[in-house]
Amino acid sequence: MVVPILLGITFLTFMLLRIGDQDPVAMIAGPMADEAAFAEIERELGLDRPFFVQFGIYVGKLATGDLGESWQSSERVADEIRNRLPASLELLLSAVLLGALVGVPVGLRSAQRPNKLFDQVSRFVSLFGFSVPTYWIALMAIFVFFFLLGWAPPPMGRLDLASFPPPDITGSYLVDSILTGDWATARVAAGQLALPVILFSIIVAAPIIKHTRAISLEVLGSDYVRYAKSQGLRPRTVRRIALRNSITPVLTFIGTELTGLLASVSLLELIFAWGGLGQWGLNAILTGDFAAVQGYVLVLALFSVVVFVVIDVLVLLLEPRATLRP
Amino acid sequence: MRQAKMLRPLATAIAIGAGAAMLGTAVQAADRTFIFAYSATPASFDSDNWQAGMLESTVNVYENLTKHSIITDSTGREVIDSANVEPHMATSWNVSDGGRVLTFKIRPGVKSAFGNELSAHDVAYSWAMAADRKKTGNFMRTVGRVASVEATADDEVTFTLSTANAIFPRILTTVFPALVDSKHVKEFATDDDKWATKWLAKNTAGFGPYHVESVRPGEGAVFTLNKNYFSDEPFFNRVVFREIPSAASRAALVKSGKIHWADGMPIQQLVDLKKDPNVKVDSVPGTGMATLRMNPNFPPFDDVRVRQAIIHAMDYDAIGVAVFRGLGERADSILAPAFGEFHTASHNAGTDLDKSRALLSDAGHAGGLEIQLEYSDNWWWEEPLAIQAKDALGKVGVNLSLKRIPKAEMNSRRRAGKRDLPFFSHLANAFVLAPGYAFYLSAHQKGSSNVNDYKSDQFDSVVDALIEETDHTKRVELAHKAQKIHADDSTFVVTHFPKTYAVTTPCISGWLWHQHDRLVWKHLSCDES
Amino acid sequence: MTEVASTPAPERGFTWSGRALGITRRSPTFAIGLIIVGIFAFVAIFADVISPFGPIETFPHQVLLPPSAAFWFGSDGNGMDMFSRVMHGARFGFGIAVPSAIIMLVIGVPLGLVAGYKGGMVDEIVLRSMDVLRSFPSIVLALAVVAATGQSLVNVVLVIGFLDAPIFTRLVRSEVLALRSSGFVDSAVASGNPTWRILFVHLLPNAIRGSTAMIAVRMAWAVRISATLAFIGVGIQAPTPEWGAMIRQGAEFIISGEWWVALFPGVALVGIVLGFNLLGDGLQDLLDPRRKATGK
Repeated sequence: MVVPILLGITFLTFMLLRIGDQDPVAMIAGPMADEAAFAEIERELGLDRPFFVQFGIYVGKLATGDLGESWQSSERVADEIRNRLPASLELLLSAVLLGALVGVPVGLRSAQRPNKLFDQVSRFVSLFGFSVPTYWIALMAIFVFFFLLGWAPPPMGRLDLASFPPPDITGSYLVDSILTGDWATARVAAGQLALPVILFSIIVAAPIIKHTRAISLEVLGSDYVRYAKSQGLRPRTVRRIALRNSITPVLTFIGTELTGLLASVSLLELIFAWGGLGQWGLNAILTGDFAAVQGYVLVLALFSVVVFVVIDVLVLLLEPRATLRP
Repeated sequence: MRQAKMLRPLATAIAIGAGAAMLGTAVQAADRTFIFAYSATPASFDSDNWQAGMLESTVNVYENLTKHSIITDSTGREVIDSANVEPHMATSWNVSDGGRVLTFKIRPGVKSAFGNELSAHDVAYSWAMAADRKKTGNFMRTVGRVASVEATADDEVTFTLSTANAIFPRILTTVFPALVDSKHVKEFATDDDKWATKWLAKNTAGFGPYHVESVRPGEGAVFTLNKNYFSDEPFFNRVVFREIPSAASRAALVKSGKIHWADGMPIQQLVDLKKDPNVKVDSVPGTGMATLRMNPNFPPFDDVRVRQAIIHAMDYDAIGVAVFRGLGERADSILAPAFGEFHTASHNAGTDLDKSRALLSDAGHAGGLEIQLEYSDNWWWEEPLAIQAKDALGKVGVNLSLKRIPKAEMNSRRRAGKRDLPFFSHLANAFVLAPGYAFYLSAHQKGSSNVNDYKSDQFDSVVDALIEETDHTKRVELAHKAQKIHADDSTFVVTHFPKTYAVTTPCISGWLWHQHDRLVWKHLSCDES
Repeated sequence: MTEVASTPAPERGFTWSGRALGITRRSPTFAIGLIIVGIFAFVAIFADVISPFGPIETFPHQVLLPPSAAFWFGSDGNGMDMFSRVMHGARFGFGIAVPSAIIMLVIGVPLGLVAGYKGGMVDEIVLRSMDVLRSFPSIVLALAVVAATGQSLVNVVLVIGFLDAPIFTRLVRSEVLALRSSGFVDSAVASGNPTWRILFVHLLPNAIRGSTAMIAVRMAWAVRISATLAFIGVGIQAPTPEWGAMIRQGAEFIISGEWWVALFPGVALVGIVLGFNLLGDGLQDLLDPRRKATGK
């Protein structure tokens, strides 16, 4: 089931890349090249073959795990992805964790006391998070916290120039430096992470607050909760029941959000020079780096699939009566 | 900027630490590390593949048989002499057969980082590789009219040209083709990669002062000194080529002393940095000039009156102020002043709105004209210049619509065989400081950078004659003639030199500009006092 | 249940203000959203009148000036007045939101109707294709398509409309499925109505009810994503006064302290997106009280 979708996505990307006027041959050939050079480069890149032959070759290589080579960097696409994915994940997962840890309780609390001050404020914050473009708020934050106040470090990546990357255990600089007891690096990594994570977690929290609240309200207004209340169960118990029943849809929702977030974190990566997958992918699209774009899209799609599977498993664990396909 | 002023010793310590820190290698106390911030990690060290950071690295790793002499100009600054080429890794050369055969004697004791000594076989190998690969190296072969390259002895290599020309000795100052340590490179050749191009892309095997030690994609590369380098030992024995994609970040880093050199500063950053006492900003005019190109094969640009009208309509003062913020230098020819005597003020039609309107009316466009300018983001000034053009042309009744296209598309459509951009922005650098080369490249019908498809048999014959002419006075004459023909045909809107800038921490000195417009690390030093 | 004594309601004529107050009380969100969108619509229509200068009029000697009496929002990197540009940018907000909304509906709704009504194979095909589209990260797809097909406003609108269509397909389809299981459809068939009539005259008005709020939300998203594309550098051409493109330019200047180039277009963008979102939430309150966003 998953494979046809992935294949469909690959085909779509493949086609999109080749129908436009974008061809990287001229870029690789440089300003001092003649017709012979262009022909040679085209031949090297396999672009002189018919479309379906090219696609067939690509899919064949995919089966062996070969995603081709980036024309910009001449690295293997698989390597580029492997090198940059941890950076994106570190940013993304930290933000999602923070956003969920804040968003879910806030949403729940809002649902319990609808239209009181807390609810109004949280709804406003959530709405704000929905409406603010990530890249713009990042720029403003950099201006205020870096340029004016000097609290945030320069937006130039995951570490400053005077720090060693820690040994690679999880891929997250922060976690790895903590695990190896390198507190200095951990502090630097945390400092570089702070601003982008906080910003992104606001963006993440917004839909979480809104949907947690909505779901929770539904649950609280549902028949069995009202029945429980009428039976005289303590409010705490009622809340716990509500929470248990809200968690599953909220989790599913977070999952769907997550899949879209991997792509939208790329703008933040760009602004903070994070060196992550998104920055690389965006650049690949703009420079017509075919293999890189195809690899990037594939990773995003795969990520969606993985997230859905993980969420389904979590749901099964939390709610044994739930079915896999609602 | 409210940043604490970095104390020099602290900056140096961080610089040293950073150089090693970047790739986790051990630091020696005697290390003198230069930190160079660029927008990308070098993607390739193979001069035949034009990828990010390639040229910035290769000019420091691969040196060649000849080099330009260094002279002092009128301001007391050291500059390269475009007129004079002297021996570098060769000791001398003999010219015979009317200039068609050049025999070079290889200097003894020129060793690569791997310990192999330069021999004529390395030269022959490098040129054979270029010929076979059919890319930039081969282009230089064609332009220099090289028919064959033979190692006539271990320390003697003979070039036979099909026609004598002045371009060839200058090609030998470039990295096209790069002079490789063939003994070492051969070890990495395979059946389907007989020139070991895959290895050459990720490693260096040159006889120059630096040598790549490690590359970390996404972060940068570290270069170390070639301990066997035959010439003067450079001040910096380690260079950290750091990837910092955002220009604004590079500016911030050089201001705080965390890096030595911030490359590729856009104009606003430059304006800002010039005012900052923690940063040293230097510049040379360079050879690259910002132009708008008109393709005379597409109407209405096929009418020379329309082209001239457009040239006269542009407000060059406004461009100098709004686009280049007063930091550019007005250009007046397709040849830069760096070419010395060969340069003449030919393309200096100025703003003249009345004349422009008259020309348009003459050409039958009195009622107005609709044209489109396509531009990209290969260079920072393209968009602001396009906007000024629109404004200026509006004043003479020309409605200019602007279209921004992606880099890949722009580069693709400029190719020989395609060239279907009617009106667009472009900048050409002359990588070889020979006027014949510059003309050939940008305006000869066979030129690879003749991006606006200019076709003039008259111009071509003058340029061909120039390339083969050996008498200096005649060459100057021919060069002037070529410029006048080109100016009369009015296919370029010549605006300004954006100039090449050096943005560094104050301790850095010794910058010497080369015609490839990239930083040569070996000249630099840092004065702590 | 105890009986509630009912007194007849006093006769009251229908007044617009009464109606407006009623709506406001039922959903203040809707009211606020409408006001905000209304203000932007006003600005978009009267941009020429309220702008002191033209949106692409350059003043080469007054580049990057901070806000002042002459240039209320300052001037940008090309010497253009930021205030005039921000005002004119409103036109793009609507110019993108409205057409893409139309396209979303034109593509998505009929597909949803057909899929829900016909079921079986047709339904499967539609669902699977929607799945493929949905799994594709939308911004990446938008970027790739616009980069491939050429950078024009029309392409951006088409792509956005196309990308969001599946959302409406899904919504409409589930409405149709619900309606099918009620006797509604069966009676229409029994009365001998041709299929197209059943689809468009009977099903459409009811199925689309649940989507109305979504339209406003997707319009908000359309404005956002076109601004994002412009920020990345595809879609909108300079010197077009589109807010995303302006922020793109402003990004260069943030670290050197020229904050006004990025701030004002951003505030405008936040405003209009907020307005559409509030409108959408409010519409949901009003039209679909079962799934209230404000949870009264």
